[in-house]
Amino acid sequence: MSTVESRPRIGAGVNRVDGPRKVTGTAPYPMDFSVPGQAYGALVQSTVAAGRIVRMHTEAAEGAPGVITVITHENAPKVGTGPVTVLGASPPPPLRDDRVVHHGQHIAFVVAETPEQATAAARLVRADYEATEPLLDLQDPRAEQLVDPWGTDTSRGDSAAALESAEVTLRATYTTADNTNNPLGLFATLAAWEGETLTVHDTSQWPSMVRTCLAMVFGIPESSVRVLVPYVGGGFGAGLRAWPHVILTAMAARMIKRPVKLVLTRPQMFTSVGHRPSGVQWLSVGATRDGELVALDHRSLSSLSMEDNDYEPFAWASSFAYRCPNVTTQDRQARLNVAVPTSMRAPAEAQGNFALESALDELAHSLRMDPLELRLRNHTDVDPRNGLPWSGKALLECYEVGARRFGWSDRNPEPRSMRDGNWLVGYGMASALFPYFAQPCAAQATVNRDGSALVRSAATDIGTGTYTVMAQLAAEELGLSLDLVRFDLGDSDMPNAMMAGGSGLTGALGNAVHDACRRLVRSFAELACGDADSPLLGFSPDDVECTDGKVHPVGRPHLGESYADILARHGLSELTANGNSTPPVATELGMSLAGAYGAKFVEVRVDADLGLLRVARVVSVIDGGRILNEKTARSQIIGGTVGGIGMALFEDTVTDPRTGRIANGTFADYLVAVNADVPEMDVVFVGEPDRGTATGTKGVGEVGLVGIAPAIANAVYHATGKRLRELPITLDALL
Amino acid sequence: MTDVASRRDAGERPAPPERVVTLTVNGRSYALRMDTRVTLLDALRDRLGLVGTKKGCDQGACGACTVHLDGRRVLACLTLAAQAEGRAITTIEGISGTDGPHPVQQAFMEHDGFQCGFCTPGQIMSAVALMAEGRAGSDEEIREFMSGNLCRCGAYPNIVAAIREAATRGGHDARL
Repeated sequence: MSTVESRPRIGAGVNRVDGPRKVTGTAPYPMDFSVPGQAYGALVQSTVAAGRIVRMHTEAAEGAPGVITVITHENAPKVGTGPVTVLGASPPPPLRDDRVVHHGQHIAFVVAETPEQATAAARLVRADYEATEPLLDLQDPRAEQLVDPWGTDTSRGDSAAALESAEVTLRATYTTADNTNNPLGLFATLAAWEGETLTVHDTSQWPSMVRTCLAMVFGIPESSVRVLVPYVGGGFGAGLRAWPHVILTAMAARMIKRPVKLVLTRPQMFTSVGHRPSGVQWLSVGATRDGELVALDHRSLSSLSMEDNDYEPFAWASSFAYRCPNVTTQDRQARLNVAVPTSMRAPAEAQGNFALESALDELAHSLRMDPLELRLRNHTDVDPRNGLPWSGKALLECYEVGARRFGWSDRNPEPRSMRDGNWLVGYGMASALFPYFAQPCAAQATVNRDGSALVRSAATDIGTGTYTVMAQLAAEELGLSLDLVRFDLGDSDMPNAMMAGGSGLTGALGNAVHDACRRLVRSFAELACGDADSPLLGFSPDDVECTDGKVHPVGRPHLGESYADILARHGLSELTANGNSTPPVATELGMSLAGAYGAKFVEVRVDADLGLLRVARVVSVIDGGRILNEKTARSQIIGGTVGGIGMALFEDTVTDPRTGRIANGTFADYLVAVNADVPEMDVVFVGEPDRGTATGTKGVGEVGLVGIAPAIANAVYHATGKRLRELPITLDALL
Repeated sequence: MTDVASRRDAGERPAPPERVVTLTVNGRSYALRMDTRVTLLDALRDRLGLVGTKKGCDQGACGACTVHLDGRRVLACLTLAAQAEGRAITTIEGISGTDGPHPVQQAFMEHDGFQCGFCTPGQIMSAVALMAEGRAGSDEEIREFMSGNLCRCGAYPNIVAAIREAATRGGHDARL
């Protein structure tokens, strides 16, 4: 059979297999589904951030046209709690009691015959509150702080002593704003019960988990719940939870014995489905005069809601990003009266890498050293935590190729030295990584009598290209042309898949698809090799491969026969095999699992008088291991870069410091990068297939974003001489 | 706020004004009896089942609901269905030819001008109109005049490349 080494390092950039549906508007997203007899839900959200509800006034809503029911904490059935996952505890179920812990908390759910009636009636629901003073300031001493909530704090050597004795030290504080995921697709849930069986269309990046959660919440077997999401409409992390509104919709459907559909409004997307939490980071760096790091102390404090978990260890990756003998990293979270934060594209790394790569730029300037040279000097090919080699790390190649393509050597190192008319020109760079992550995955592969293949798993394609790259991978393993292979997903009745998150799905699912396809080929080989009518008779099933639609002895395609022939002769309509993957263990491999790396080079232009800031060009060189599809992988890096530009320049979810209300919860007020904000981009993939996994992929969904914000901030310093340690960087800071 | 709420509580709700609105969508006529306050977007999606037109904000800020009225792009969420009466409405479902996808649709596929695909119908409707408007003369122009269509996946450079190619290849083809 084929091996990793014989495969192309960069797979063919074929068009997305779901492209025709997406460009014709026929791809069905959760909000596009309807079932006969469905009613419509509308949320009522709290208008205070802390306190308790004294009384709910629902009479007007109950009497409004078309209203079927109004659910509040006073009449909601008691339900169970969802599972604890790798992301922490499930969000607490809705309408449990009279407590309010953030502005915009769901306090009632109105169900009516039409969406207009539900929305109109929801506005008639009022609540009397006993409001208390909300905790909204990250550094409020009254806020409970969670110390090392993820067990990720690290310490090696003696960073305090090393800082004390270092030839050069730098101490700086960096802050990053709350950002809101805001996928374009409004989150929607359509829940329908048939007896004790629940079918849900839901905007989710993890249907297997939503199924588990709903089964636990309603006390029914998992086999009685089906979650469907063939097309997501974007997520960027917002779809990694079974949110309270999902439970509310299913609860309402059960109560009224009719299907219920809910589509969130854009303002509700700011309070209901997570956001990237704001944070403060304190960096202390010690180095020798020639730029060798001797100490690194990286601490963070980020915001958390009152009752939820959010995996967000900003500082953790600083413990293995560079070679440095004395390192301390510590992460804390402060519980505030804010809506629950959650993963948003490159969780923790987006923020942590901004602080680290800004600090290194500051250090380089204080040493009068090329920032790129500083990175090279502290590069490590082994994991500094355990001394193991990385399973794949082509970061040096990223630096080299990136610097060349960008023209880094043309840079005049002096800040405010480069100019084009009235534009101050600045070059900046940053290193990027996104750590390895995987969870168990399963897949099933079938070859049908007509010779076509169907491979499936309860995964999602949030825009990353899962439909396409898994079909490509299966076609390769099965020796079939791509048009004969279909990959199906988005249905929790299919074999369990991990979330589309943490840049982990392509690798973990790819390995499961790889396993399923190999087992399937093996089944065909065993049938054929023991069959007197087969040209494969007498060959060992171990020495069989598949090319051009034929199963044949290795290297001897003329002795092959097609899947269809084998099935026909044995009177079978299909053969099916199941495959699994589990994350490899570093100590068993003798390697540390590397994750993706990248080097980012950015040119900015700042108007010398007006402070206007434009990103003029970006070069991203990425080590993503084996790339399954050059086109969709490149799109991931482009999209991540756009997200990074948004984080650096625009995105800032503003919470009113007195009321806790989000003050800019619309697309008119919350700025994201638009087409005119985004320049030409150069994206290059380097490196080799990762040695730690069967398929050699690393996952590139997040590494495209990481490093963009610090590269921009560093370029702004180079252009203007102003060091900006707070995101987003807005015009007023440059005047 | 309080005044409005208390007036609502007083139950002063006149019956919703209803009438029959005739819409011509993708060349077909539909007579719909509905509340005159229904937006074109909701009429297309909820009454006619044409769900290719997307709702991304319902506030006229994202462009996902872009359709054509008499060939000009409008935001269906900010247009009342009644305002579209007597005008030719074209949605994403109506731009493919009988012989295959529209050149802009084809170019979006070739250039990977989308990821999750949710904003794509609006992007394509804007792109088709943009070329008819003569606004696809340069990358800079395309960027500027496509900036009313948000793409949170960040496919912008590929969208620009797709439109550039469709505009260059198609010239002033009548279909564009």
